[in-house]
Amino acid sequence: MRKLWLVAAVMLVLMPLASVFAAGTKEEAPAAPRQELVIAIGAQPEALDPIAMASAPAATVGEHLHQSLIYMAPDGTLEPSLAESWQAASDGLSWTLRLRQGVKFHDGTPFNAQAAKANLDRFLDPESKAPYRFLISEVSAVQVVDEYTIRLVLNRPFAPIISNLSHSFIGMLSPASLQSLAKGEATSNIVGTGPFKLVRWDRGEQIVLERNSEYWGRVPTIETLTFKFVPEDAARMVMLETGEAHAVMRVPPADAERLNANPGIDVVYASSVRVIYAGFNTQVKPFDNPKVRQAMNYAVDKEAIINTILAGVGYPSTAPVVPAVFGHTKVGPYEYNPAKARQLLAEAGYPNGFRAVFHHPTGRYLMDSTIAEAIQSMLREVGVQLELQTMEWSAYLSFLRKPPAEAQHQMYMLGWGTVTLDADYGIFSLLHSSQWPPTGWGVSYYKNDRVDRLLDSGRTTPERSAREGLYAEAIELIWEDAPWLYLHDEGQINAVRSNVEGLIHHPLENILAWDAYIE
Amino acid sequence: MVGYIVRRLLLTIPVVIGVSILIFAIIRLIPGDPAVAIAGVHASNEYIEQVRKDLYLDRSLPVQYGIFVRNLFRGELGVSTMSRRPVATELRERFPRTIELTLAAMLIASLVGISAGIISATRRYSLFDNLSMLVALFGVAAPVFWLALMLQLLFAVNLGWLPATGRGTWRHLILPALTLGMATAGLIARITRSSMLEVLRQDFITTARAKGLAEKVVVYKHALKNALIPVVTIMGLQFGILLGGAVLTETVFAWPGVGRLLVDSILARDYPVVQGAVMTLAVSFVLINLVVDLAYAFLDPRISYQSQESE
Repeated sequence: MRKLWLVAAVMLVLMPLASVFAAGTKEEAPAAPRQELVIAIGAQPEALDPIAMASAPAATVGEHLHQSLIYMAPDGTLEPSLAESWQAASDGLSWTLRLRQGVKFHDGTPFNAQAAKANLDRFLDPESKAPYRFLISEVSAVQVVDEYTIRLVLNRPFAPIISNLSHSFIGMLSPASLQSLAKGEATSNIVGTGPFKLVRWDRGEQIVLERNSEYWGRVPTIETLTFKFVPEDAARMVMLETGEAHAVMRVPPADAERLNANPGIDVVYASSVRVIYAGFNTQVKPFDNPKVRQAMNYAVDKEAIINTILAGVGYPSTAPVVPAVFGHTKVGPYEYNPAKARQLLAEAGYPNGFRAVFHHPTGRYLMDSTIAEAIQSMLREVGVQLELQTMEWSAYLSFLRKPPAEAQHQMYMLGWGTVTLDADYGIFSLLHSSQWPPTGWGVSYYKNDRVDRLLDSGRTTPERSAREGLYAEAIELIWEDAPWLYLHDEGQINAVRSNVEGLIHHPLENILAWDAYIE
Repeated sequence: MVGYIVRRLLLTIPVVIGVSILIFAIIRLIPGDPAVAIAGVHASNEYIEQVRKDLYLDRSLPVQYGIFVRNLFRGELGVSTMSRRPVATELRERFPRTIELTLAAMLIASLVGISAGIISATRRYSLFDNLSMLVALFGVAAPVFWLALMLQLLFAVNLGWLPATGRGTWRHLILPALTLGMATAGLIARITRSSMLEVLRQDFITTARAKGLAEKVVVYKHALKNALIPVVTIMGLQFGILLGGAVLTETVFAWPGVGRLLVDSILARDYPVVQGAVMTLAVSFVLINLVVDLAYAFLDPRISYQSQESE
């Protein structure tokens, strides 16, 4: 009887394994002739309704389903999408957009000026509580001029409006699908104009899309596109290796070489719109002295950080925004020169260095805590003793976002992605003196009147080349003043199965599959 | 018996109230302004203030608690700040999946653990005994996270027998259930063994043997039922624990259950989801314990819930 128990127990454990053998091996063969693509991303979109979207995963998936009026190409150019052309009035107080004709939503209803107005009004409605409403908050009214023309009336001239309109979160949904919703209610029934349609959303697990055969543009080759949510980095890599996923994002730098050596996998390095920097609280000693701030910039070897910690992925910052951003001008990088750093510190009155506290997040940005440690050791060489402190992300945000009188930080690490690829978004929000907390995120409490005026003009001048000049001058001043320790422009490391072609690795940290196919 | 059940159910009320106050207070003690956390880095000040108003975060704590309780009475668990869907919907979707995983894990753990424990007890100090107790110790000591990754590497990558992540077929269930069940299996095995040994030493066992009963009957009919009492206690507690906390397993295997929902919500300061999920888990835990206590009466005839001095 005892023996029987033992045998039964052992069999119970072995049986599932045996039938696995018998039934077959892996789930899906990676090189399936069927065009069914699986992409594994690290988090689930919180929502796909434009008025509730707030994160990169939401943008990645949303881009396939609904479209904005204007499309931001990977190289930063603004291309016609649902709007074919746009024109500012001479006073800059309104923009007229001609819309694309013959476009249908996934439910068959037509896209036209009424539909565009309905969506923009809904996005702007304060009761919708759209987190990214501020992108187009200068729009006071949306007018229907004719069936395929709308006019946006602005409170004051706002040149970045067109770049902002290209944001993934200002996608167009079918008004018919929105009719039964209450104000502020977000829909799960996403009916857009995009190259893919929503089939189902298994919460916490995956989103399944199918191709839109009536798409107004090039119909995708991929028939079924599945986004799986896998938060654990190692698990995502495993899925790629077994072929359960065809593409993954955010490959840890340490895994890049190993994956690339795998003949079935290609590692893709793409640029990103995110800059990583260490900001200074310019209202407190010793960071109130620009020489000290410049010294800090000279004391850190950004190349070394990129090569040893980030596996060579990324570039030392040449400006407060990445090169792809409109308005970027190359004023840097600050070369690694510890001797110059020491000299500047001495001139500033700190020949023996000083002590300070450096706050940084952990796990938010690629290798953030390791980078902080590297900075600490490099600065020690020039006599600056940094104490490192870290906290959980949400707590960190609250900790930083305080009015200058209550600020407790001296030096802090942050990243900022200029998702509209317009210098206004990258610089105004952080370095204009009107954006100090509680209003905004200017937690360096930087104030330069000339820069303020340049940034204000940059917003209101509609002409692109004139704007470029304004931002060029502003960036030069900001570089000199060094309210930040400019670190690096992040790069993206994604990985794709070798038999998959045509995926777009967008600097906005999306993977786009509408041109992809499986060989 | 019925009186006992009614009394126990009534006792759950103060427990639930206590839990509600506790979870309400704890999440509000987490440092950081939840409105900022919810609104995000790129949010404007107006939006942050709007979020603060909508969640009643600008009111005093007693008022906030009052609103929370009032909604509970109405059966409203609120709306998730992240997804804007009702909390009840989120829980209704995720809970069954965690139950599925937990049941599978408990099944494996119980079958393997009890069997191993019985055999170890009846063959004390044999090779089987020493080996199985060693494996049990390993199961309890091995970090869940590490175990999950190792199993994933072995069975999904190297052997290719099982899928690495996700949920779908019964094959998807094996690795996560195994990971989750290992520690509990170890625990159950050890407790079953020591409990059996304890019972087998008792006089009534000697009596049964003396009466000439077959060893099988002695062990299974007489000893086991009594030995299982502490085991059942552990099983009940473990089930409740696993239900609420299979977070590491769910993360590594991308299992879309309540554990992950809870962690994601805490990080995003999604108060309504955190409160709703914890309240649901607490009530489940209480009910599970009630079932466990009732099981005692079946296992041990000495325990009777008719009398006044029960438990």
